[in-house]
Formats: sequence, C-alpha cells, structure tokens
Amino acid sequence: MISLLNRKLWRDLRRMKGQAIAVSLVMACGLAMMIMARSLIHSLKSTQLEYYESNRFADIFVQVRRTPNSMTTRVAQIPGVAVVQASVSVQITLDVPGLDEPASGLMRSLPDQGMPELNRLFLREGRWLGPGARGEVLVGEAFANANRLKPGDSIAILLNGRRLNFRIAGIVLSPEFVFESRPGSALPDNRSYGIFWMPYSELAAAFDMDGAFNFLALTISPGAVERSVTAALDRLLAPHGGRSSFGRSDHPSHVRVTDEIRVLQILSIGFPLVFLSVAAFMTNAVLSRLVALQREQIAILKAFGFSNSEIASHYMKFALVIVVGGTLFGGVGGVFLGRQLVGMYHMFFRFPELAFRFDYSALVLAIFVSTGAAILGVFSAIRRAANLPPAEAMRPEPPANYRPAFVERTGIGHLLSHSFRIAIRNLERKPMQAFFTVSGLALATGILIVPNCFRDGVEHVLGFQWDVVQRQDMSIGLIEPDSLKASYALRQLPGAISVEPFRNTMVRIHFGHTHRQLGIQGLPANGRHSRVIDSNSHQVSLPAEGLIVSSKLADVLGARVGDALVVEVLEGKRPIRTIPLVGLSEDFAGIAAYMDMQAVNRLLGEGDVISGASFSVNNARRSEFLTALKTLPRIGWVVVKESLRANFKQTTAASINLLQTLYLILATIVAFGVVYNNARISLAERARELATLRVIGFSRREVGAVLVTELVILSLIAVPLGMLIGTGFATFILQAVNTETVRLPLVLTASNYAFAALTVTIASTLSALVVLRLLNHLNLVGALKAPE
Amino acid sequence: MTRDALEIRLPRSTQTLFRARGLTKVYGMGETEVRALAGVDLDLAEGELVVLLGPSGSGKTTLLNNLGGLDVPTSGELSYRGMDLTSADEAQLTRYRRDSVGFIFQFYNLIPSLTALENVALITEIARDPMPAEQALEMMHLGGRLDHFPAQLSGGEQQRVAIARAIAKRPEVLLCDEPTGALDIRTGIVVLEAIERANRELGTLTVLITHNAAMADMADRVLYFSDGRVHREHRNASRAPANSLNW
Repeated sequence: MISLLNRKLWRDLRRMKGQAIAVSLVMACGLAMMIMARSLIHSLKSTQLEYYESNRFADIFVQVRRTPNSMTTRVAQIPGVAVVQASVSVQITLDVPGLDEPASGLMRSLPDQGMPELNRLFLREGRWLGPGARGEVLVGEAFANANRLKPGDSIAILLNGRRLNFRIAGIVLSPEFVFESRPGSALPDNRSYGIFWMPYSELAAAFDMDGAFNFLALTISPGAVERSVTAALDRLLAPHGGRSSFGRSDHPSHVRVTDEIRVLQILSIGFPLVFLSVAAFMTNAVLSRLVALQREQIAILKAFGFSNSEIASHYMKFALVIVVGGTLFGGVGGVFLGRQLVGMYHMFFRFPELAFRFDYSALVLAIFVSTGAAILGVFSAIRRAANLPPAEAMRPEPPANYRPAFVERTGIGHLLSHSFRIAIRNLERKPMQAFFTVSGLALATGILIVPNCFRDGVEHVLGFQWDVVQRQDMSIGLIEPDSLKASYALRQLPGAISVEPFRNTMVRIHFGHTHRQLGIQGLPANGRHSRVIDSNSHQVSLPAEGLIVSSKLADVLGARVGDALVVEVLEGKRPIRTIPLVGLSEDFAGIAAYMDMQAVNRLLGEGDVISGASFSVNNARRSEFLTALKTLPRIGWVVVKESLRANFKQTTAASINLLQTLYLILATIVAFGVVYNNARISLAERARELATLRVIGFSRREVGAVLVTELVILSLIAVPLGMLIGTGFATFILQAVNTETVRLPLVLTASNYAFAALTVTIASTLSALVVLRLLNHLNLVGALKAPE
Repeated sequence: MTRDALEIRLPRSTQTLFRARGLTKVYGMGETEVRALAGVDLDLAEGELVVLLGPSGSGKTTLLNNLGGLDVPTSGELSYRGMDLTSADEAQLTRYRRDSVGFIFQFYNLIPSLTALENVALITEIARDPMPAEQALEMMHLGGRLDHFPAQLSGGEQQRVAIARAIAKRPEVLLCDEPTGALDIRTGIVVLEAIERANRELGTLTVLITHNAAMADMADRVLYFSDGRVHREHRNASRAPANSLNW
C-alpha cells in the first residue's frame, strides 16, 4: 500500500515538476554558494599549509643592511629560534625582450651548494642552478608567464649598475611569493615586476656583499613566542639597520591569502542563509498548495485508515525529493563555480598545485541545512494535512476571507482599478507569500550590486591614484640615495619634459602604544607629479615642517591633527624625532606619510639627497626615453603608469567579469524561480477566479493583467529594497576586507543599480510570460465545474 | 438608467437568436470517445425561458457551453443572430461573451477578493451598454449588501450577486447551469424569482439547466435531454411563478 502512495508521490511530482524544479534550483543556488565557498576555503587552507610545510616557509623575516655572515650564529642563539636562513635580497631592473619599459623586481640569493634551509623553491619548469654555474637565474612563475619566458631564454639584468645577460635555468615558485607583487601594491603587476634567484657568490660579488647578508628568514621552535623572538632579533640587529622584523601575520603574500579566506568565510554563511530561507518558504508554498488541492484525497486516505504519521511522511517525502534535487544541483553547481574561481585564483596566487578540493563536510552540511530548511518549510503544511478531520476534509474549503486593503482604507480606494484591488487584497491576505517573493527578488537584485560595486570601486581608486594623485608618466627609484645632482643627469634623458626628485625613507611612526612601519615620502612642497590630496580632493601644500599622513594611518594610530608623532628613522644614522601631525591625506592603498623633501633630508642629516624621481615624458619620444632608462646604472625600480594601469585593468577585469557572471547566473535563477513559483501558485489557487473572468467576457490579456499586477507590485517593492540590500552587502563586504594594505571605497553608480534592476526585471518578466502561456490553456469549462 | 429605458426593450418579438442543426460534440478519441452531443436541432427565440432537463451526462451542460461560446462543436451548425459560432475565433468569442451572454453557475464563481458591488462593477466597466452596478444589485434586493465580500454573504446572496453580475450588462442571453444546485429550497426559490424577473423585465432569453423536474413549470418551453439529444420537447400553456414551485 505504501508503494502505491509512493506512486502517487511520483505522479504528483511529475505534475508539479516546474515548481519542484524552481524550488530545487533556488535551494541549489544557496547550496552551490556554500559548497563553493567552503570548498575554496578548504582548497586554499590545505594547499597553503602543505606548501608551507613541504617548502619550509619561515615564521619571521627581517631586512637589514650589509651584515657579516657570522651574525647568523648569534641570531641562532636567540632563545626560541630554530633555523636561520641568511640571504642577499636586492632591487633590480631588467630588460625583458618584448617589454618596452624596464621591468623591475627582487633578486634573492640561493646557497651556492644545495637547497636553502627555509623558503625552499618549487621547480615548475627547467632545472635548478648548476653547481658553480654563472650567468644563470631562476625566475618566478608569475613574471615568466606574463612575459612568456621559458627556460633557456635570455634576459638582461642591471646588477648594481652593470648590465649583464642571464640565461633562465628554471621557472620556480616560492612560499614567500604566493602572491607575487610589488611591495605595497594591491593587485599583481606580473608583467613589470618579478622575483628572481641566483647563486649567492655571484650576487654577493655584484653588490659587494661577500661574506655578508641583508635578509634573514627564520623559524621558531615549537612553544616559542614570536613576539619575544622578534624583540630580541630587533635588538641584536639594530646596529645593522634591522628594520623591524615581522611575522607571517605581516607578511604581504601570506596576508593576501588569509584575507581571501576571510572573504570566503563571509560568503559561505551570509548568502546561502538567505537563499535557503527563500527556498524553505517556496517549499512551504508549494506543499501548502498541494495539501489544499488534495484535501479530499487526504480525507479518503484517512477514512481508509492511513495514520497521520503515514500521511505526514508521504508529504515529507515530497519535500525530500526537492531537497535531493537541490543538493544534487547545488553540489554540481558548487563544484563548477569552485573550479571557475580556482581558475581565477591562479591569476593571483601561485601554488605548486592549487586544485579544487571538494569539502565533503560542506556537502554533509548542505544536506543537513537544506533538509532543515525544507522540513521547516513543510512543517506547517504537513501538520495541517495530518490534523484535518476526514469529514471536514471532504467538504470544499469555505471561500477565502478578504477585506479592503490598507491602501484603500486610507481613502484613495476609489482611484484604484479592479485588477489592482484584487492584487493588493490578495497580497494583504497572504503576507508571508508576498514577503518571501519580495525577499527572493530583492536578494537577486542585491547580489547583482556587489560585483559591480567592486568594479566601480577599483575604477575609482585607479582613477584617483593615477589621474589625481600621481600625474607623472613614470617613476624610478635609485638603488642607493644619491646627491641632488643626480636629478640634473636624469633631466637630460631624451623626451623628459619635467623631472621631480623625491626622497623616501623607511621609518617607524609611534603614537601612544601603537606604531607602524612605513616609508615617508619626501616630496617637493607643491609637486606637480606626486601630489598629496585631502578629503576634499584639493592638493595639500607640504609645510616646511611637520608630517601629513593618510587618514587610514591616523585612524590606526589613533592620532589627530595637532598630535605629536614620534618618528624613528630605520636607516642611516637612525635619528628619532618628535614631529607634529599637521594634516591628513586621502588615499586608498596602504598607509602613507608625506613630508617636504627638504624636511626629510634635514631629519636624516645626510645633506641634499634623492632616492628617486618622477617624470613626465613626451609621448612621441617615449620609447627613446625607455631605452635610455634601460641602460642607466643604479636604478632599483621603474614604474610606468600606463602599463601598470593596463595590467591592473586586465587582471581586475578578468576576475570581476567572472564574479559578475557567477552572480548574474545566481540572480537570474533566483528571480526566475521565485516569480515562476509565485505565479504558478497564484494560477493554481485562482484558476476558478481567472476562468470566471474569461467566461464573463475578459480577454486573455485582461485576465493576464489581473495575475501579473500582483507580481508587478511585488517587483516594485522588491527592486528598490534589493538596491538597499545590495548596498548593505557591498558595504559589509568592503568593510570586512578593508585592511591597511587594500581597501576599496564604496562607489555606487546609477548604472550599477540600473543593471541590477533591469536584470531582475527581465528575468521576472520572462518567468511571468512562461506562466502566462499556461493561462492560454486554462480549461474554462473544467475550472467552473466545482470549487477546487 | 431609468425604469423607462428598461421598458423600451420589453416588447417581445419571436426573433430566433440561436439556430442549431445536427450539433455534435465529441470528446476524446478512439476507445475513450464520448459523444456529449449527438445531433441537436434547436431554435431559441428572444425573451424565452427554456428549461433543460435530463440526467447527468445527457449533454445539457455541453449544449450550454456551446451556446455560451466556451466550447466549439465538433460538427453541425450553430449560429447566434446569424453569426457562425462554430468558426468564430478566440477574440470574437470573447467579444460575444462580453456583450451578449450572462452566465450563472452552481457555485456562484464570484471573485472572492472583490465586494458585491465590485464584482458587478467589474462587468459594467467593460460592457457595451450596462446598467449601473447598484441598480443590478437593487434588482436582486441586495441594496444593503453592496460592500460585503463573498465570504460575508450567504449562499443565496452570493448567487443573487452572481445574477446581478450576469444581468448588469443587459445580455440578450442568460445561461444558468444548476443555479440552485447548492442551495436549500427556500433560498433556491428566491434565486429563481430573481432569474424569472430578469427574464421578464429585461426580455432576456434564459436557458436554465436543472435536475429538478419541478422547475419545468416556470418555463415557456422544456427540453428533455438524454444521450446527447433533445429527446422530447414540451411547451407550457402558461408559466408558473417561481414562488409557487415546490420540491
């Protein structure tokens, strides 16, 4: 007998397949997002952990000036230090075939013999450096890929002013550079910035570092406290310019991966929760409808002696089929989305192998959550079915109770058309159905706002950074600070229209108990290249004394204009001075501090020196300028604004397009599914009413209008609400990912809102049209025969 | 609309409104084929009150649906005032129902979310030459229930609202399918009086389906249906008033 009930179940399902699929799909959207995000967290975390362990990623890092190798023994004696790895680390520029401008990068030394103890490389392609080989380098994968470099290719590198040709032995990865980017840069710029490795003896010889090092990485023994080790290390290395050691939590590459995992964690909870609530309600609506339709069948089953629990489990199975469908779709969808996003992570994160790893616990959780949602959704409907006394159930339901809607009670009722009255009275009678339809549509609108908000934010930052703040065409940094005279030589470069020197220096700024390490930018007082901009977008003239910092830094330090900041210079004579905070600047990437260039030089007490310069260049003579630049000695780095901008655009466009597509798919499914379900239920519940209208002389179009008016009203409420929700989502996510290194302003554009509204409107309209087609098949005679 | 205006339409002619010849309706195919109408020949004239009597499945409702433009016959001729209803398209049939036909159903079929007045006004807004909705309800003695929703009305009241809705457009044809089927006898009589009154005062051709042989007395003509055909026809010498009926 039970098997006959099951047969009934399948037939009911087949009859309601459209709605069952719609509910399953909305549920699947929530589950897919959850499975995707949790699997990505799992993939990133486990890959990161394995990579760090197998390649012995260090715990603490410190940059120093030239320090004799013997010092490593003393470092190793610091309590808590396990393994010490010393190397030479220098800024270089290089000439890459096919790249107009000089690229820049970081060159690290590798032991002449064997593997380094820490931060071991992973060989992707080619071979390791041969023992005693000269003229060979290993290249980081991101740079190699971006510039299509292969083992055996040759590149020209300027090593301490000497241009030398190197052969690429191999393409490698390093746990230190999972996120391979220019220091302080929010997005990777792999075409013009790369990481390189060469043998110690060769690099040390070129930079006069024989028997010495300038970069230390170390691990701490289990149980040791990182903070006490860094404090001891800083004390020990202070005479050697130890610029404040830092742990993994300040390691730029590590922080980027960690930030990403945090965003995923937010995604894995927030969105799925809302999707699943909507799906739970849709399940409820579909089942309530089914139970209402099958009142008499339920009564007959009961009259034949089926127990309440048998009937409850029969309808529960209906919900479970939807859950199984949703989980299946959601699982497949989650894996699909996850694989797409892993593909995107390959653009940013370099792991030996970042494969999509399915988080099975997410699947279990998904089944658990969606079953819970479905049970919650069907509970009241099933209880109604089970509690129905057989005799009562065999009678048709009494006519529904209505009353004038709230809008009419305000006294404007006479202005409303009949179909509008029917619509608002229906909505008021079933507020929960209206609420969840509005929620679903609002959610669909809201999630569309998010990726475009990122896009507009990035665009705003780039525009601000490169059109307002940095007006130069390119900037160069010298390997070592040089006298002001050097800038006269730079002025002679072909095509240089104007040159502005700058003097940057590493400092630690203290205020109260907080401190931050960063570079002070010493600029001309009213520079026309690198400008300091306040919150009103006006240029700030740098005063002869005093410090201007970015508002983010002031925030972090808890300092206000007028406060005295303690500035500890981390190079040269390492002076410590108290300098007043005289103003705040606006910027979006990192934290920054600005001073008048001469004030910086006074602070350092090294006379008139510069550490680099910015240029505006005659566009017609651009390539001439770049070629000349490539031959210039003593240049540590070069930034060409246009290529940086192009690279940024390419990377952000690719990743934001992917996110947009994903969210577009989800939003369309939800909008379509929610409207379809709502319209189908209205159609089923009101078949008699609509058929009556047709019979008494309403055209199809007029009857369709009665059905659609309700959806139009709901959409008109949902879309603006969705814009608000989307703004909230975007604000929340941006705040959650807002760090000292990367932050995006909340930029909300009319086109963003319009796109979201239009997409949801189109999806809803198409969905409503599908249901309206069913109206054409409405059986006029059958619908009139008997109630239900 | 005044009483005088109503009177103008009262003079009776015997012009034929419907003409059916060999009307056949077949549902399904092959083994499941059901001949709901098996060759009906029939003429229905203006102002007549015709009662269709017959057992379930004898084809009464199918005939009514065909007359009302809800269904099209499989074969045979069916015309209304010379308009061929068998070949009319969807839009023409909608137009025909809107302008010429009033329907009354067993289960009233009111729009539950609209009040009595609004249910009637729904039609008067789209009809060609309607009477005011209030007047139609007044005719049904429902002047005091204008703002009540269907759920607040008794079955008899709901059916009278349905009649008001059907006659408000001044239809030439009133088609009633078991209008008292869901009502007790006292309420049923009130509803029949209302139908009778609409037929008399508006001169509307009224076709009334029933299982109840007692209602035959109120008709001008009685058609006995069986097996999809008009089996027998009887013309009453005089119509008995609805309030004299008993069952």
